[in-house]
Order: sequence, then structure tokens, then C-alpha cells
Amino acid sequence: MKTNRHRLDKIYLSLISFISLFGVVILVLVFAYIFNKGTRLLSWNLIVGDYYPEVYNARSDGVIGENMFVRPENLSENAWFSAKWGIALEDNADFEGKNYIKVVYIDKNSPLANMPDKNDTNHMVGLKKGHSLDKVIFTNNVIVLSREGAQNAILLFDEAEGIADIIFSKPGNGIRGSLITTGYLILFTLIIALPLGIFTAIYLNEFANPGRWYVKWLRRLVETLTGVPSIIYGLFGAALFIPFISSITSSEGGNILTGALTLSVMVLPIVISATEDALKAIPDDFRHASLALGANRSQTTFKIVLRAAIPGILSGVLLSIGRIIGESAALIYAVGTAIKDKIILTEKSTSLSVFIWSVMSGENPNFELAASVAIIIMIFVLLLNLGIKIISSKFIFKHN
Amino acid sequence: MPNVIEIKNLTFKYKDKIALHNIDIAFPARQVTALIGPSGCGKSTLLRCLNRMNDLIEQTAISGEITYEGKDIYDRYYDVIELRTKIGMVFQKPNPFPMSIFDNVAYGPRCQGVKEKKKLQEIVKKALLDAALYEEVKDRLKESAMSLSGGQQQRLCIARAIAMNPQVILMDEPTSALDPIATAKIEELISDLKTSYTIIIVTHNMQQAARISDFTAFFLMGNLVEYGETDQIFSKPLQPKTEEYITGRFG
Amino acid sequence: MPRLLLIPAIISASFVILIIMFVIQKGASPFLFSSYGDQKVSFIRFMMGQTWFIPPNEYGILYIVINTVYVVSLAAIISSPIAIFSGLFIAKIVPKIFKNLFQTVVELLAAIPSIIYGVFGLGVITKFVVRIASLGGIQTAGGISGMATVLVLAVMIYPTITLMSVTAINTVDHDLGKASLALGATKIQTLFKVTLASAKPGIITGIVLGLGRALGEATAVSMVAGNAGSGPVFDLFKTTRTLTSTMLLGIKETSGLDYDIRFSVGVVLIFIIIAFNILLGHFKKKAGRFA
Repeated sequence: MKTNRHRLDKIYLSLISFISLFGVVILVLVFAYIFNKGTRLLSWNLIVGDYYPEVYNARSDGVIGENMFVRPENLSENAWFSAKWGIALEDNADFEGKNYIKVVYIDKNSPLANMPDKNDTNHMVGLKKGHSLDKVIFTNNVIVLSREGAQNAILLFDEAEGIADIIFSKPGNGIRGSLITTGYLILFTLIIALPLGIFTAIYLNEFANPGRWYVKWLRRLVETLTGVPSIIYGLFGAALFIPFISSITSSEGGNILTGALTLSVMVLPIVISATEDALKAIPDDFRHASLALGANRSQTTFKIVLRAAIPGILSGVLLSIGRIIGESAALIYAVGTAIKDKIILTEKSTSLSVFIWSVMSGENPNFELAASVAIIIMIFVLLLNLGIKIISSKFIFKHN
Repeated sequence: MPNVIEIKNLTFKYKDKIALHNIDIAFPARQVTALIGPSGCGKSTLLRCLNRMNDLIEQTAISGEITYEGKDIYDRYYDVIELRTKIGMVFQKPNPFPMSIFDNVAYGPRCQGVKEKKKLQEIVKKALLDAALYEEVKDRLKESAMSLSGGQQQRLCIARAIAMNPQVILMDEPTSALDPIATAKIEELISDLKTSYTIIIVTHNMQQAARISDFTAFFLMGNLVEYGETDQIFSKPLQPKTEEYITGRFG
Repeated sequence: MPRLLLIPAIISASFVILIIMFVIQKGASPFLFSSYGDQKVSFIRFMMGQTWFIPPNEYGILYIVINTVYVVSLAAIISSPIAIFSGLFIAKIVPKIFKNLFQTVVELLAAIPSIIYGVFGLGVITKFVVRIASLGGIQTAGGISGMATVLVLAVMIYPTITLMSVTAINTVDHDLGKASLALGATKIQTLFKVTLASAKPGIITGIVLGLGRALGEATAVSMVAGNAGSGPVFDLFKTTRTLTSTMLLGIKETSGLDYDIRFSVGVVLIFIIIAFNILLGHFKKKAGRFA
């Protein structure tokens, strides 16, 4: 009797424990996937680079000496070096698996480092490390194509006498524009949502008479905002804020400002509940002490109570930032999905999350790029969560 | 009078603090034994040792021997679940489960695998009758136990324990959360119950101990100071400390 | 001062009303006016339709509603038991030193943005579906399917339900568990019959929140659901189409009938969410009868 029942109990407990590992497994899988896919592209260039590649078209008038350049020692084994032109090339593949030739080294005295632009001969352009070599037509009419490989290209380079036409490009897929846009969205959203949310929370917690019918309704309506799906916020932003901003600025359609307005409605319940939680945690003694010193209620609220609520408000801010960084559906409607390198507040642009949406929703989803941006987003999310944990362990429980 | 539970040389530690020190005591069958003493004297700890509820608390150590029906209940092979079906417990605050009155009383038997509806109904009815609650609740067995008054809830908890048909019922200050009228009802119930059950009750209330118990044990700072028939303890205590306590000079 | 503070409070509270007003206003226009050179859309056919778009002006949404309810229900059916067990595990079973670790894991899952679940869904879950399908010799559209949608949603609502379950279980009076053990119940019996039973209202709230999240979840779902032109689709290996994926996928212009009709889909979503909340609020009352 005993052993049977106890064993059964143990089996069930182990079964529950085993099933509960689901969360751990999912978290590990998500992280493993995005890190596995995304680390290759993760670089400084990704963060500061433009999204759109820039294509150069030039010719070279440079005088070429014979084998005047020396192969640098730190060059990888896969790199092919031309002593004649002072460049090293390597085979590379883009996210669609298409081969291209990547410039991995260029001597600063190489004739290719300084060439007149074909479209504007007064303007000089130069091949740089990291560029992709797309097409070269030499003066002897031999053509080099990117897909034919680096070794072939170097051989032809070494035979050639001059360059009639060279097309090369600075690779794109950088997220600088989206990073800046995300920053703007956070900034403007908080500028709108913080005062509105904090004042609402102060009214509801400090001044409103909770028994009144209209106070109950105010509270109920504010709480209902929490359950609104983000795509509905997007529709709302598109229906109200886009026409509104269009009417007061020269913008057409969604833009960063309409996005910020939409997001500020979305994070409003977060700010309000975080502030209210912080206000509730402040003991009434605080308020009474200030009132007893002759301060009136407004002074008490704004000088004493609000100051004590700052950590709580701060954790609300961090939660809001997390929501803004992660938001995609609302912004797809309220702003749009066009990736931009030059950021203008009254024009479309993408946040990091919408950037992922854009690169994933084309004909050929760019998993690698999406995963590297996902890594960046996850780093933000982890830092924000850590911040919230620190705040709540250091400040909020002090009051209790 | 045979003893149901015998305790020999029991020492109980919580963290590094000794909560019970070398206790030797035996509880006679079908009698009410009251454990008295000031707060923190170890009487409740002793009670919880008897059905091994202290197992749930971490960082405790126990030495010595507690035998129930001649078997050591702290033996590695002793079935603690079996033990708890034989030794019921009533807690300080009434704690009915958030389910119907019927389901509360039927809970224990159901856990033991009783499924037959008729049998359960019998058990519940008998337990409620024994706990003097049946007349008050017979028309609303399907209602939530939370709708009962505090005193009724506590009697329900007693019924819940009785439904297991235990030999011993442990009561940990069962009336401390109740008003005087509800308390009187419970005391009356305890006197009725002792014809069929061995009752061990922890109480803070001297008069209560004197009114309802046959034997009384007085504890002080983890030690058993004096143990004997209630009449003797309250009229001619052997130990000066006992006298001081029951006459209200400390505690 | 208090009067002045009433103004921000009223603004904050008014947004819910504004949202419903503006979305309905725009969502109703395809049925009321013929603008942009388009004919009016039949409301009846919209509500009863089995095909999303029949040119030039017929839209149908009934099958999409059915698809949505179908995948969301399946996701909840898969996720809820796992989440409730996890809640029980975190609150009552796991040794104290690991408690925080498991809690943090679930909190992190809750903090992962839906776009990342979308990437994960398209990169991992669809591949998994392809593998499962190939076992039965079934062809899928690269794993883009109802099953992928269900799995992504199940993963996404798991942390919501788990965290609510933990909170609900933690608020159950410890005395109840002790009383059950003292009656000779085993730990499992105590956990299921007393702890879970007492935490039921809170757990159901968690499931409602999870369902709300699943119904409104757009980005991740759109990435794995596909865009089935007609239905309803019950075959889990076929592409499906939910209300939210309909709103997000295939937007070509930001004006015109094809754009405005997506607001009508949004209105339907709003009403479904309201209906779900009322329905489950009712269940919750029933479950909380004894609490």
C-alpha cells in the first residue's frame, strides 16, 4: 500500500516537472536559433551601415607598375591577392546564397582606391574594404563578373593593362536608420505618454473619490486599454493620427510621429498602472507627515509623494520601452514598412522590429539579417528586464 | 487505560533552536489531554510531531521516539499518509476547502479511494451528525462551505477529520478564532467525541483546559514541566512553575 | 488642482472609446459608401462569406472567423495544461533555489516580442511541421500551415497562462494544503484537489488573457499562417488565414477599398474579443462560486 501510493505520487510529480521544462526548452531553442543564424552578420557595420547598397561606377586612369604591392601578412588563406593592383579579393555569398566577390584588402596607394566617378568625373570614388566587386571591363575588353569567383578575377586583373569600366558597391543591410527610428519612437512616445499617464495615475490614486460613478468608469476604461490587441492600435493610429498629422504637416501617410502617437496610447496603461502601483506602495504616513507640516494636498502630492514614486515610474518607463522596441503590428499600420536610411520625422521609416518584418516578408526572407536584428532586440529586452528587476528589488519593497 | 501514543526522549530542533527537549509522555486512549503553556513553549510543535506535519518545515531535526500503536512513526518505512488517516487534525483558524460542504467532508475518504456515492453519503452524514452540524446544514450540503459561520466552519473541519474515522484527533487551539457561543458548542462537542476518539488539544485558555480535559500537560520553554490528571494539576500542582502559570502569574 | 487633473484622466479614459469609434467608422465605410470608384460591399456576404475576395467588390470573412477560433482554441488546448502544470511546478514543486530561475525563464518568454516568435516560427516551427508532414507523406507549403500557427500561438500564450497560474496558486492559503495533508491526502492529491481547485478563478483569468493575446496576435501569426483564399480550413497541414493575418498581409496601398476592408476585419476582431471576455467572465464566475 505504502510503496505503491508513494511511488505513484513520485511518478506524477516527476511528470509535472518534466512537462514544466517546456518553457526552458522553448527559450533555449529561440536563443539557439537566433544566435546560430544571426551571429555571422553581427558586426559594427551592421549597426552603423545603410540598408540600401550604394553602387559606384568608375574608370581607372591609374598608371600601373609591375608587382609593386606586397601581400599583407594578416590576410586570410582564402583571399586572392594581386601584387599588381594592391587588392585582395575573397569569395562570399549573400543571404540568398548568391556568390559575389568581396574586397578584403586594398592598399592605400592602389589605383583602385582613387578613381574618377563615371557619372561625374570631378568626383573621385574608391574601392574600399568590405565593398563588393560587381563587374569590371578591362581596356583589353576582358570582362570580370562577380559570380565567376575571386581567383578568376585576380588572374584577369594581373593580366590587364587598364580599367575601362568598374562597377562596385558598398553592401547594404545595415540597420542604422532603424536604430535611429526606434530611438525617436521611444523618445516621442514617452514625451507624450509619460505626463498623460502619470497625471492620470495621480488623479486616480490621490484625488479621485473611488466611490464616484465617473471615477469607476474612468478606471474601467483605462484598464480596458490593456486588452486591446496591438494591431487594433495600428488601425486606430492609421484612422486618426495619420489624417491628423497630414493635416498639420506636409507629410503624406504614416510617419514616425503618427507611430509615436499610436505607441503612446498603447503604453499609456503600462505607465498608469506602474505609477499607480508605486503610489499605492507609499505609506499614508508620508502624506500625513507632509500635510501636518502645513503643506496642502497638491504640494504634498507633487513634492513628497511623486518623488517617492519615481522608482516605480521608472520601471514603468522601462516596461514601455520594451513594448515599443518589440512592437510591430501597430507600426506596420500606423507608420508603414518602408526601410529608410535618411530619417525624417514626417516620413515613413521602420523600427528594429518592423525592419525584421520587412526583410522577412519579401520573396526571399532574409533569415540571417532578421536573426541578427533579433539578437540586438533581445539584448535590449534582457537589459530592460534586468533593470526592472533591480529597481523592484531595490526600491519598491522598501516601502513594505 | 492503554496508551495510544507514547513519546520517549523526544528532542526537536528548528534550525539551531531546541523547540522540544527530552520529552517523555504518553496519551491514554479515549481521553482528552490538554497541552498548555505560554506561547512558544513547544506545545503546538509537539502536536504537529504526532502526525508528522513538521515534515513540511525545512531545517528541522528530530530525535527520540514516538510510537503509535506500538510502532515508531518516524521509522523510515512508516507510511506517513496512513498515519494521517488515523490521526486527524483540526487547525487554529477554520480552514474549509473552497468547495461544497459535502465535498469538504467527503474529501478525505475520496482521497483514500472511496468512490461509491452511497457510501460517501453515509460517511458524510455520520461525520456531520457526530460533529453536531448535520441539523444546521442538511438542506444545503451543495452550498459552499465558505457560506458557513466561523463556528460552523470549525465544526465542519472537525467533521472533515471525523469522516476519516481516525483514532486520534489533534486540535490546535481550535476555538481561538471563535466567539464564546461557538466556543461553548465546540467544547460540548469535544466532550461528546471522547467516547469514541482520543483527543489531544492545545489550548491557551486555562478554564477550557480545566473544563474539558481529563489529563493536562504543562510545557515551558520546550520542557514538559508537569503531566497528570487535570483535577490534580489544577488543584494540587506538584511543580511551583505550574502553579504560577495556572494562577495567572505569568504567561 | 484635482479638477485640472481630471483632464488627463478623461483623455486617457477616452482612448478606448476613440479606438472603437474610429475603427468602426473606417471599417463601416466599405458597406455604406461607394468611394474610390468602387461599389459598395455587401455586409451580409461579408459576414457569411467563404472566400476572402471575389473581384470587384465581394469580401467574405466567416471562414476566417472560423479559422481564427479554430487555431486559437487548439493553441489554448495545447498550451493551458502545460502552462498550468508549469505554474504548479514553479509555485509548489521546484526546490526553492531553482524557483527564481524558472520564474525568470517564463518572464523572459513573456518579454520576447512577437516579431521574434515570428522569425522563430518561420525558421524552426515550419521546418518541424514539414518534417511531421513528411512522416505521413503529406505536402505542405513549406510548413506554412494551420499547425505552425497553432504551435506558434501555443508557445506565445504559454508564459501568460503560466505567470497567472503562479500568482493564483501563490495566493491560495497555505493552511488549506496543510489541512489536506493532515487528512492523509498525498501531495499530488493536495495539489490537484485543493491547490488547483482553489486557484481556479485566477487560472481561468490567465487563460482568458492568453486567449486574448492569441486572438489579437498579428505579426507572428501572419508569418506562419499563409493566406488561404477560401475556407474554412480544418486541415492543419494546409495554409490558413486568420483575422489578424488578413489585416497584415497583402496590403498594397494605404487607401481604397482593399485597405479599408481590413478595418472592417478589425471591427470583427474587436467584437470577437469582447464576446470572448464576456463568455469567459461568465465561466470565471461559475468557477469562483466556492471561493
